[in-house]
Amino acid sequence: MNTVIDPQKDYYAVLGITSEADDSEIKHAYRERARRYHPDSAHGDAARFRLIQEAYEVLADFAMRRAYDRQRESRGLSEDASVSFELYQSRRSMRPLDGPQLLYVLAEMRSREELARTPQRLNLALVIDRSTSMRGVRMQNVKVAAADLLEALHAEDRLALVTFSDRAEVVAPSDFVDNTRSFKSALTSMSAGGGTEIYQGLLAGLKQVRRYASEDRINHVILLTDGRTYGDEAQALREARRCARQGIGISAFGIGEDWNDVFLDDLARAGNGVSRYISSASEVQEVLKEQIRGLSNIAVKRMRLSINAASYVEVRNAYRSEPYMEILQEEDGTFALGNLTADEPAVVVLELLVQCAETGDRRIARLYLEAEEASTSQSLRLRQDVEATFTLEPREEVLPPRLLNAMTRLSVFQLQENAWQALEQGDAQQATRFLESAATRLFDMGHRELAQAAMLEVGRLSQGVDPTGEGRKKLRYGTRSLTTSSR
Amino acid sequence: MNQKDNKVICPSCEAENLPGTLFCVQCGTYLPSGGPLRTEPLPEQGEDRPAQPRKKGQVGETQERALNIEVEVLSTGRNVMLSADREILVGRLDAAHGIFPELDMTADGGLEHGVSRRHARIYTRDGTCFVEDLDSTNGTFLNDERITPYLPYAFRDGDLLMFGTMRLKVHIHPNE
Repeated sequence: MNTVIDPQKDYYAVLGITSEADDSEIKHAYRERARRYHPDSAHGDAARFRLIQEAYEVLADFAMRRAYDRQRESRGLSEDASVSFELYQSRRSMRPLDGPQLLYVLAEMRSREELARTPQRLNLALVIDRSTSMRGVRMQNVKVAAADLLEALHAEDRLALVTFSDRAEVVAPSDFVDNTRSFKSALTSMSAGGGTEIYQGLLAGLKQVRRYASEDRINHVILLTDGRTYGDEAQALREARRCARQGIGISAFGIGEDWNDVFLDDLARAGNGVSRYISSASEVQEVLKEQIRGLSNIAVKRMRLSINAASYVEVRNAYRSEPYMEILQEEDGTFALGNLTADEPAVVVLELLVQCAETGDRRIARLYLEAEEASTSQSLRLRQDVEATFTLEPREEVLPPRLLNAMTRLSVFQLQENAWQALEQGDAQQATRFLESAATRLFDMGHRELAQAAMLEVGRLSQGVDPTGEGRKKLRYGTRSLTTSSR
Repeated sequence: MNQKDNKVICPSCEAENLPGTLFCVQCGTYLPSGGPLRTEPLPEQGEDRPAQPRKKGQVGETQERALNIEVEVLSTGRNVMLSADREILVGRLDAAHGIFPELDMTADGGLEHGVSRRHARIYTRDGTCFVEDLDSTNGTFLNDERITPYLPYAFRDGDLLMFGTMRLKVHIHPNE
């Protein structure tokens, strides 16, 4: 009999053994179970007996067992893979057409454990903008938040404090956090004054982190700024990319209304980190703490998604939809997805442009997920296929709720992004239309505050006035963290 | 859904979209259902509400498979048969405001479970059952996933619906 390997079945569980079991354990388990479930015995179960036989035939054969293990691993089914990787498609059967049509694919990456196997030790630098505009409440709040951060960190975590205005200053060099006195005195002596040159601050922060960077730590720079930087954006981005390759990440937080959102988004993306909008100084504390919690709970580092698509397929858009929304940029055929936190899934939605005029079953694309496990630095590679049947009579299909939810939010996010883009190209009329549509959809979804913010900007645009920086950031970062689940 | 050269024309802004598009690129309308279905009959007309308008040419052409949806309220064990040849409103009875839900959750402790008076609606189309949240205060969940208001979500036999915190199990029987 020719046994066909079915990676969906857990042969190890069928025989009641672990994937580490050796040949004699497999044989023993098989004999014991086969006897018990043999159709002629008292507890006979023919279906179960056949499954036991199938499991034994695969696992007892060295080559077949290896093939089975590999297949399971590549599909993320093996218990050894610390991440699950699953796909949801908008359709599985489609009509063959001469022209292009759209297929949506949602890819979900999830850590198998809610808590990282071992909490990650951190190696951080906090880079604080101390330009003139930070004077007063902002600086006060940042100081309180930083002092609070000391409490939230573990004694074995490392921290460095850097401030910058026109130039950078290392106010507390990298040290273990249990040595709090030097940090506290550094914080009290901090004062605001001067311009904003992010590159200088970033460079000093990265230098501190790099000095103690190691594979078994999360090496990360956190930038807090309230202003725009002038002329050094390209340098900063280049440096961020270089450090990302060395395993040092960057997150960027903008306070108030005046900072350059596009630049900070780019910086965080290049640095494998996150960017966030802090609307009022009092939120600094909360946001920083959350960031630390996220960093120490990282399960998998440096996730990369690459797509091997058929010749008639094109990736029209790629979005991240969770933990927050962003438009993903392809680089060398790969989408960099950053880190995966143990208690939060990462979700990517791909819009595939498919142009296929012939019927038949086809593999449309093959998706590879590569990453490194945070606790062991072991690399992992998972694979999933996007398949569809092209037929003249496509089946009625149910759209996966997960995909519908993600697309609902992404479409609103895209509408407001379109608006800013149209505005940049000088088409205020088109921008107004996009914003109006976004407002309508936001009302429908029950996000009244954001809808009102959109309508406010529509009002300004129709009077020929530029939108407010606050409104733009509220919408960009508000729609970005939209969620339909309130629990 | 209007189609011209296989393109999908948005019913609300008339923009052309590629086949398979879920949300109109120009205005964000949900295309498979022709947009968020916001034109509901007023609750005042509750009792003798006109039959759901059908698209021209649809009557008689597709023989709709009649379905019976049976829901089981998990907290009280109450079973309710819903004949799904018309739309079913889920909520709590409020005679003063003319709200008469077909599936009234008052007796099951709907108020305590956070069920809104007009919470959601259930209907079938072409043999598929849909649930649509009516912007309820505490939300509708399909298999523990919160659904977006005013968008139809398909559900199947054995699925779990939750209105507020009221849990219901769905059984769908084909009706001979």
